[in-house]
Amino acid sequence: MTRRRLTTISVVVLCVVALCMSVGGRKVSAQSAAPAAAPAAEPIYNPYPPGILPSNLASELARVLRETDSIEAEAIKQWHAIPAPVVSGQPPILQNTGVPLVEILGKLMNYDRTISPNENKACASCHMPYAGFSGPIPSVNLTMIAYPSSAPYRAAKRTAQRYTYSSYFPPLQYNATQGLFFGGNFWDSRATGYLLRTPDGEQSQFPPVDPDEMANPDTACIAYKLSLRPYKSLFEEIWGAGSLSSITWPADVASICATPEGAAVFGSNSQPLTLSPADRTLATNDYDHWAESLSAFEHSLSISPFTSKFDAYLKGSATLTADEAAGYALFRGKGNCNSCHLDGRSTAPTPPPPDGKNPTGEDTGTAADVTPVFTCFGSANEGLPKNPRVAFYYETTPDSLGFTPNPGGFTYTDFGLGTFLRSGFGSAPNPNSSWTKYASSVDGQMQVMTARDVAMVPPQCKSTEAPGPYFQKEFFHNGYIKSLKQLVHFYNTRDVYPFTVQSGECPAGTVEKVNCWPVPEVSANVDMTTGMLGLTDTEENQIVAFLQTLTDGYTTPYPDIGTYTGACMSGGSASTQGNSTIISAQKLQELLNKP
Amino acid sequence: MNKVHVKLLMMAAVASLLFSNSIVAQVNPYAPKTILPPEPRAAHVVISQGPELEIARANLAIIRWTTNNPGGTDVHYGIVHYGTNPNDLSQTAKNPIHLNRSHPDTTFRVRIDGLSPQTTYYYTVASEEATGTNDGVKSGVKQFSTQ
Repeated sequence: MTRRRLTTISVVVLCVVALCMSVGGRKVSAQSAAPAAAPAAEPIYNPYPPGILPSNLASELARVLRETDSIEAEAIKQWHAIPAPVVSGQPPILQNTGVPLVEILGKLMNYDRTISPNENKACASCHMPYAGFSGPIPSVNLTMIAYPSSAPYRAAKRTAQRYTYSSYFPPLQYNATQGLFFGGNFWDSRATGYLLRTPDGEQSQFPPVDPDEMANPDTACIAYKLSLRPYKSLFEEIWGAGSLSSITWPADVASICATPEGAAVFGSNSQPLTLSPADRTLATNDYDHWAESLSAFEHSLSISPFTSKFDAYLKGSATLTADEAAGYALFRGKGNCNSCHLDGRSTAPTPPPPDGKNPTGEDTGTAADVTPVFTCFGSANEGLPKNPRVAFYYETTPDSLGFTPNPGGFTYTDFGLGTFLRSGFGSAPNPNSSWTKYASSVDGQMQVMTARDVAMVPPQCKSTEAPGPYFQKEFFHNGYIKSLKQLVHFYNTRDVYPFTVQSGECPAGTVEKVNCWPVPEVSANVDMTTGMLGLTDTEENQIVAFLQTLTDGYTTPYPDIGTYTGACMSGGSASTQGNSTIISAQKLQELLNKP
Repeated sequence: MNKVHVKLLMMAAVASLLFSNSIVAQVNPYAPKTILPPEPRAAHVVISQGPELEIARANLAIIRWTTNNPGGTDVHYGIVHYGTNPNDLSQTAKNPIHLNRSHPDTTFRVRIDGLSPQTTYYYTVASEEATGTNDGVKSGVKQFSTQ
């Protein structure tokens, strides 16, 4: 069978599958459908005490796979609707349609679950549009925090960060004048952008080969899998003829790339595919193009479009409600939120000089930056308590492949940027040894994410906040916070109700997250700008109302926002949302030890 | 036209000019005003309030104090030197805060963890830029007790 014929058959099969998905997908309930992917070859890894894995995990993973397959099928149609570019100019440019083509290539990659060894995990499996491109499974957000690997159910340690506006972060750099780090991607900034100069692009190179995520054993596996995809021709149209198809793959490529990283059979070999030097270079370049294509998608109007109500307000075409306006004033005033989540204000006007003198002015309160991204691109330790529900703490035994994700168990402490600067366990090698000396000054620091789209949810669920209907999200790096009300209340009262206890151990007469905040996981470098803001309950709610104006899709519909086919939640209070799932580390340990 | 009339006319003209300028000043949206620059690096950083205990638990305490805005780097560190012997304040706690760039004052807050219950501690405070340059703050030795 020729390669072209195989490709044609693959496209036909995919289209038929996609048609079935698009016709029936949204009618299937979250609880009932069969998994869309073949079961993993290896047995389920479940070293967890009861309560860590949500009871509906399998069906919810299947639901997300159906959604990603459906979006990918649509993306293939969108690709075919784009006219072929005209290569012209010097340097050669894909004139007219180069931008939409590289963006749609990134989109096709993002929703492609065949990239993972068990063909059960796409990038989008942890980053769906209706959640602002963060975690799409409410029950996972309530329980295990990190999403299961392609090797089920290994899991990493942190929440899935939103893609939105991640492409605006500059390469990581130490600013010696301010004595601070700025830039990078990931909570710990380990995607520095040091080579590609695009941190969000480099970010996309980590999960495919992270043993706790997609778990490919070799970066070249990504080039191999791309070479099998129906959009291979698009890849080569953009990145060069032969960039995929001229690589000679070894006979065992399929079996190696279907085996999750960490398997004992690989030992410490990070390049188990045997390739000629020239082919290895091609595959490495392809992996860079993978990163650049995904970066293009993340920067596109499909993800970071500046279409929120706040953007309309800056344009003068929308009016904030009284609560939103009050929240905005608090955001840049009493709440001090914009000391890190910069909102582009406080720049003086530059009037024409009526009298020939140099123009001067004062802060009139008019926003100077009409596309603020609500971050300083820096990092901070906000003093979040350790979240004993994080699955990573219990992965202390080997899975069937012989891989142990976290030998240290509950003793693992997430020092964030500090761990990365030390090239420590759970992070990545630091490519600049001159940064290492700053590690202790940034221990516990996590990236200051954009506040944009923090409140994005599926339209039918309306809100992140109980009583709802709401879509359960998870906030901060370890998902300890479950609603925006709790998030603001934490900033407001962390130091008003401090207790030297762990989560799940607040004293009688107190309510965790209401008037009891457990001790920070990392006590060093806790940012004390916040912690006792003096906000009233109403003022907290007003800041939440303002945060909700930062959700894209107000001026024009947000692409693929309507793809959620799961259930919304309702009932309860935003202040205690998710508290029923709190279990102390001690209790979890007892459950773990129970025969 | 006598001299008195000339003077009156001149005064009216001047008044008219002044008046019209004030009208312009009221309606011109581009009226010159004062730029608010970042607070310059203070020659002397002086404590205006505190240091004092904000809250104490069995194993932790938060100390706070207010100074004039020290200026300089956006992030400053509040520092507490403490110990159970007033003559041996060899332990140190420090926390970062962001300056409010145009505010005249800055409040530092430092969290001290790992304290012993029902114990009296003595302390002094200081502050520095994120680059390590000390603000030159001096405070007397004060004390607090844990619960």
